[in-house]
Amino acid sequence: MTDDTIVVVEDLVKRYNGFAAVDGVSFDIKRGEIFGLLGPNGAGKSTIISILCCLLKATSGRVVIDGFDIGRNANNIKKIIGVVPQEISLYHTLTARENLRFYGRIYGLSGKTLKNRIEALLEMVGLTDRADDLLEGYSGGMKRRINIAVALLHNPRILFLDEPSTGVDPQSRKRIYDTIQDLNRQGTTVLLTTHQMEDAEKLCHRIAIVDKGKLIALDTLERLLELVGESDIIQVMAKEIPPASVESIRQIDEVQKVSMDGGIMTIQLVRGRESLAGIVDRLISGGTKVESISIKEPDLETLFLHLTGTKLRR
Amino acid sequence: MKLHIIAANDMLISMRDRNATIFMFLLPMVLISVAGLALGGEFEQNIRIDVLVVNLDNREISEEFVEFLEEIDILDVDMESNEFAARDRVKKQEYGILIIIPRDFTESIMKGQDCELMIITDPTEKDQNTVVEQIAEGYASRVSASVVAIKTVAAYGVPVYDEDRISEIVETANQFAEPPPVQVTTENTATTPSKSSPFTQYVPGFAVMFVFFTTIGTGSVSLLKEQESGTLRRLVTAPISKAEILGGKITSTFFRGFVQLTILMIFGHVAFDLYLGSDMVALTLLIATIVLASTGLGLLVAVLVTTREQAESISTMLILTMSAIGGSWWPLFIEPPFMQDLAHVTITAWAMDGFYALLYFDLGLAGILKEVQVLLLMTAIFFGAAIARFRLE
Repeated sequence: MTDDTIVVVEDLVKRYNGFAAVDGVSFDIKRGEIFGLLGPNGAGKSTIISILCCLLKATSGRVVIDGFDIGRNANNIKKIIGVVPQEISLYHTLTARENLRFYGRIYGLSGKTLKNRIEALLEMVGLTDRADDLLEGYSGGMKRRINIAVALLHNPRILFLDEPSTGVDPQSRKRIYDTIQDLNRQGTTVLLTTHQMEDAEKLCHRIAIVDKGKLIALDTLERLLELVGESDIIQVMAKEIPPASVESIRQIDEVQKVSMDGGIMTIQLVRGRESLAGIVDRLISGGTKVESISIKEPDLETLFLHLTGTKLRR
Repeated sequence: MKLHIIAANDMLISMRDRNATIFMFLLPMVLISVAGLALGGEFEQNIRIDVLVVNLDNREISEEFVEFLEEIDILDVDMESNEFAARDRVKKQEYGILIIIPRDFTESIMKGQDCELMIITDPTEKDQNTVVEQIAEGYASRVSASVVAIKTVAAYGVPVYDEDRISEIVETANQFAEPPPVQVTTENTATTPSKSSPFTQYVPGFAVMFVFFTTIGTGSVSLLKEQESGTLRRLVTAPISKAEILGGKITSTFFRGFVQLTILMIFGHVAFDLYLGSDMVALTLLIATIVLASTGLGLLVAVLVTTREQAESISTMLILTMSAIGGSWWPLFIEPPFMQDLAHVTITAWAMDGFYALLYFDLGLAGILKEVQVLLLMTAIFFGAAIARFRLE
């Protein structure tokens, strides 16, 4: 572990009754980095973050956070990490200030230090004027902002966020992005899990792609997209797609992969725009009643499809 | 230790719930009032116990004991001079209970020697036997204090054949004893006989049942609520131990249950002149052990189930069953013997036995030691099993 590495994960395994939810995952996180774990629901992201937050014990493997081995120094790790769970883990019959006060005392803060920290965080998440309202009267986005503020009470060195923008309106999502970026600028290392491409694309310095408990790619967004090369994605929506149509599309030289999901055909191919006319011809002549066709530039969705043959949001 | 932070937060949350506060205090007060006023006559008629006494001693202390029995409202005391005739009357089931005071009872006590009060019972009258045995044990424990005092003095070489000297020694010993055993016996029988009323049954009965809704019902749900809302997961990622989290939840549940039971007993005293006994330390100890045992049971329910709905239905079933067979709704001694035996697997039955000992018979701490021991044993079993099963993953 070098000085600029804050998290080391080596050959991490977590099994439940023989099923491997996490299967030999290894990565490290640099100090001051925003690191994303991207994958579909059930890929093992939340299990990994739960182990890193000392919530779950790994079946095997090694985790070191800021020099502390998680198996031997969990209590020291808990003092330096901040955790933002996926669900709103707050007391809804208490006010925002009361929630912050409670968790602050749990982290050992008291008196003026705690009071000042609460005020600063309320200011940061823009809820000073609602601080003494019961949380049950808050909107989902406001609750999520307090959910983040609680994790920052003790100035953690590393912040874990589990699906931070799930179920959040665009305005609150932007505020959450701004908050994460501000914290990162101040030196906080961030690890976030997400199945939303937008989270990973807008926030993360490096992205680890996880599927079926395994880490299948890890790099910066730009270098990950290079893996896809010149591929485009064409999505065809139709009432009925006869198997013969699918087969005829597969015969086109430029086509790399064809997958079906209900009434949606996803085609991965090179030089998509040039091949589009030929594809439409084959679909119509094969008896497909096309409703819409869209063409996408390479993105994380394309990458995920390229790496796994399945869609990210499955 | 951060236990107090968890406990304080838990209490703040429960105080915010107005419906829960009404359920904790107002509802039991209404039920106690209605049940006590409506069913009082029926209840009073049921509590009469015929006791036959053979006094072979007929001296000061044995006569004092007979007077003590006669002062107790629910006992009808008859005297018989012939021991064999008395035994025959019990055999013929004319009386359920016979107390034989031995010939040398007073002299033995005065000399600091061991002596024995004999209680002969009809096994079919198990309920009444328990009540009378408790009364006799309570009296015996007070008299025993005098015997111990005399024995102690004798052990240091003071002659004990002089009755005047013995009285003097006992009196001196009593002045040092806190509370003074013999003096308390005399004063209780002479000036503060227990004052039974229907509320002596219904106040502790309903109060115990509603406390269970706090300690077992709300107590078990509280932990699962934290689990379901994710706050428990968040606490586990913070620098606080499993013991502190559990300890905080237990402290808060115990405190709420203790305050609730105490307030309901005070309500009975203020509103219906309920006699609370002369020993407030014993009453407080009994309340504390009842609340502790039921808090343990609530925690056990919480760790044995997986959802809040399961906890709610299991705890409600437990509370209603314990209340019905354990003596919350009617006196335990009107139940058939096998049901009384069965009832004593419940916290309620031991709680009600304890309240009877204090509120009816005014037996003080000595009269509830068995109940307190059993409740503490239950507490240890429930907490032990719950902590062994508690998992945070």
